[in-house]
Amino acid sequence: MSLELIKDILLATVPLLVIFPSLFAFTTWMERKALARIQNRIGPNKIGIPCTRIGLFGLGQPAADGIKMIFKEDIVPRGADKLFHLLAPILALIPAMLILCFLPLEFPWGKFMSGQVQAFLLDSAVIFFFAISGLATLAIFMAGWASRNKYSLLGGMRAVAQMVSYEIPLVLSAVVVVMMAGSLNAKEIADVQTGFNWFVLTPWGLAAFIVFFVAALAETNRSPFDLPEAESEIIAGYFTEYSGFKFALFFLGEYIAMFAISGLAVTLFLGAGDGPFLAVAPWLSVVWFIAKIFGLIAVMIWLRGTLPRLRVDQLMAFAWKFLLPLSIFNILLAGMSHHVTVAYPGTTAQVVTWTVSLVGMYVMAKGLDKISRSTAKPREYLYAE
Amino acid sequence: MTTAAPNYELLQQEGLETSLLEISMGPHHPSTHGVFRMDVKLDGETVVELRPVFGYLHRNHEKLAENMTYLSSMPFTDRLDYFNSMTNNWAYALAAEKLIEVEVPERAEYLRVIMAELTRLVNHVTLVGFFVNDLGALGTPLMYAFREREKILDLFEQASGARMMCNYFRFGGLRNDVPEGWLDRTRELVDRFPAFLDEYEQLLCENEIILSRTQGVGNLSRELAVNAGITGPMLRASGVNYDLRKVDAYGIYDRFKFRVPYTDGDTGDCYDRFMIRMLEMRESVAILKQALADIPEGDIIGKVSKVFKPKPAEAYGRIEGPKGELGFYLIADGTTKPYRYRVRPPSLINLTVLRDMCLGGKIADACIILGSIDIVLGEVDR
Amino acid sequence: MSILGGGIFKGMAVTLRNFVGSYFSKERFITTNEYSWRPESELPQSIGDYPKEEGEQLSDTTTVNHYSRNFPMLLHDTGEPMDTIRCVACQICERECPPQCIYIEKSTEKKENADGKPQFYPAKFDIDVSVCMSCQICVEVCPFDAIVMNSQFELSTPDRFGGLLVRRDDLLKSNDYYHKIHPQEAATRDERMAADKAAKEAKKKAAAEKAKAAAEAKAAAAEAANESKEDTE
Repeated sequence: MSLELIKDILLATVPLLVIFPSLFAFTTWMERKALARIQNRIGPNKIGIPCTRIGLFGLGQPAADGIKMIFKEDIVPRGADKLFHLLAPILALIPAMLILCFLPLEFPWGKFMSGQVQAFLLDSAVIFFFAISGLATLAIFMAGWASRNKYSLLGGMRAVAQMVSYEIPLVLSAVVVVMMAGSLNAKEIADVQTGFNWFVLTPWGLAAFIVFFVAALAETNRSPFDLPEAESEIIAGYFTEYSGFKFALFFLGEYIAMFAISGLAVTLFLGAGDGPFLAVAPWLSVVWFIAKIFGLIAVMIWLRGTLPRLRVDQLMAFAWKFLLPLSIFNILLAGMSHHVTVAYPGTTAQVVTWTVSLVGMYVMAKGLDKISRSTAKPREYLYAE
Repeated sequence: MTTAAPNYELLQQEGLETSLLEISMGPHHPSTHGVFRMDVKLDGETVVELRPVFGYLHRNHEKLAENMTYLSSMPFTDRLDYFNSMTNNWAYALAAEKLIEVEVPERAEYLRVIMAELTRLVNHVTLVGFFVNDLGALGTPLMYAFREREKILDLFEQASGARMMCNYFRFGGLRNDVPEGWLDRTRELVDRFPAFLDEYEQLLCENEIILSRTQGVGNLSRELAVNAGITGPMLRASGVNYDLRKVDAYGIYDRFKFRVPYTDGDTGDCYDRFMIRMLEMRESVAILKQALADIPEGDIIGKVSKVFKPKPAEAYGRIEGPKGELGFYLIADGTTKPYRYRVRPPSLINLTVLRDMCLGGKIADACIILGSIDIVLGEVDR
Repeated sequence: MSILGGGIFKGMAVTLRNFVGSYFSKERFITTNEYSWRPESELPQSIGDYPKEEGEQLSDTTTVNHYSRNFPMLLHDTGEPMDTIRCVACQICERECPPQCIYIEKSTEKKENADGKPQFYPAKFDIDVSVCMSCQICVEVCPFDAIVMNSQFELSTPDRFGGLLVRRDDLLKSNDYYHKIHPQEAATRDERMAADKAAKEAKKKAAAEKAKAAAEAKAAAAEAANESKEDTE
């Protein structure tokens, strides 16, 4: 391996390994702070600069948490499968870290590279993304199984069922973009969308984005789909028996997966690094990209602060009876609207496709909702004087 | 959805070997509301057998009370259902007042109603919060509920000196009059409470996830509810219009205009139990408004000595507690101590139908059904 | 016909309103009394001592609390604590205490109290903090107004056994201190005690007059004494 190549690999990977874990720390702080505000609390506000009374809005909290996690006793249950118990958190983190490489983050130092080693230039980047993110399921089930705890096992089983099911609508909604962009290359998909030609601004793109986002919530075990770690039912699910640094690794893996999947949503639908002032300062594309990721994460936090979780059968029904038909229908709509706009260029055709697609999607969604969730509605009550 | 569990014996005969997952949920489990245990057998996620185990919080309340004077067990009644110390006090005071036949002054009667209805607000608002927490919300409704609860507990503290263990009622009245300005602060709180309820309803009552999680889950038929002796909001959610405030009209409840919400009894599921409590809070606010408008000046306690010897007799005092019918049964034998002291705890008796409601549901349903029963282990185990 | 997901959006509107509102309205916050940082010597002794600091969510209402109670204390009148102790070691509180946390040992000989009357006094008067449940039944049954509730709540101690058993000398607090922490309650209590005392003196006087004066005067005085006694009860 030449020195040049090593330099290139380091330039392509080290920033990812530095930026995202530090963003993770910031995100935990942001999440705690936002949830606190939603719940009318203040949130972390004491820990700032050590040995002083300067709070810095509690920005030191993630560091303090990290230190605590590292020094905490690592407890392994006596009956646990020690090897897999140890491997599971590591395996949960690796795919999450790996798929970050497929995000078309164009760092300004990219021009110092001699060759192109970025993974997003791979012709099948999107496929790789889904393939590798599917590995996380394995790690979670491994954790659930190796812990030798019934709650962990239930959590692991839930996680497998959930993540396998939701991968299908996730992929099917991404298919639309691949279809339209005509490429699986993340860079090319990003390039198609430059100049505010974001796919989310098309009717089928909007629908696909919503389906993708909902499925992404389930893929990353976020509320309201956080069944594998439902604390009111199965304690903490698959990481019930984890403490200390192993727990922190799971936590890190979960958040990195959140970044990764939000990053993919940004790439596919929100125009990747596209944004204003790029002509003046091309390096802004990284900033736009990360800002969009944080926008999506903010919505995730907001949802987490609002919603209770679904039940396991409803979760499955939602994936198979609602999201899956909807995303298949969307592929149909996308193809039709594409051919209509190609055949009849002009505003009228645009308006017609928008209206037909949106109404079609809404009617479809409403109908599917009626089938899968027929009886639930508010009721009237009697009063005795 | 409640579906019939498969016949396991049949499956074994056909050579399809299958075994059930036995889980001992509790006593330290996040959603068992204290130290309660459910031994469940699961088929996948479906509950096929459930055995409630309790007694972890047994403190020998009834026997203790038989060995101390009537007044001395008053502070222990606070600790039965530690969310609603005021109503516990009242039920005990009612029973003892029947033994010694003492007149309760007018102002004390009004204050008793005010305290009891504030307690009902505290209980219901936190119950709804905990219930939604069991459903998996990240504490947001609970935090809103606790904020309102805290305001009411502040009022309790100003009146009685303690937030939760109020120990405020005495035989023949109350321990002390409320401090100056207390009634105005209460009026202000009561005026603001409906706005909070509106927000709470907007947050919860139409949420599709809550609707589909709670409707059709944990159905309790009218017949079973009556036969099992269920009382309180749970009974009314099963379609029986029965409220001791109307039936007994203890205290001065016959003076107030209020309605009792109940269902037509078709479902009796978790959603009904949740909604009945939401609606009852509005009625409590109505009672509070009337009581705070009419409260007279005057004495706060009748003439009762601290240590008394009632004539040998039996007495049963009961009230419509926030959780159901709370009763105290006393037998006096002419000494300063009761010969027999017995509590009818609504939590325990409402808990008896847990198994019937949970079977065939999912494990997540068992958690919310337990939440919708509204138990406090201090009262279940005593 | 409801909008798809309408209930969820409604709920999200509520949480968004709360999120934004939490930056502007203090009323939305849970009223929490936060311990403010200060050196040990300046630790507050009761809730009322907590000053408001910037950013501290201290509600006005909790600072005004006439009935706040945490742990009993023994009262003495102005003067040397043991000379003016009100407790006569009658042991009623010990008997009535629901969790049985009071231990009293009666003195063997009598000693003059504040009124100059020879009385027994508690040779030992211990209350176990870890058992006491702050119910103030002892306060209510005490016929001598000798035990009342203190609102001090900084009772933690590094000593698990000796430190949690509060001795007589630590329990003794002056009536002035009582006036400071519970002004309203102390005033009514003093009023009633003064009235009791007056009634007693009147009775004594009447008894003394009885020996000397005529039968009519005797009856009138006794009636007055009875009346004033009834008023006070």
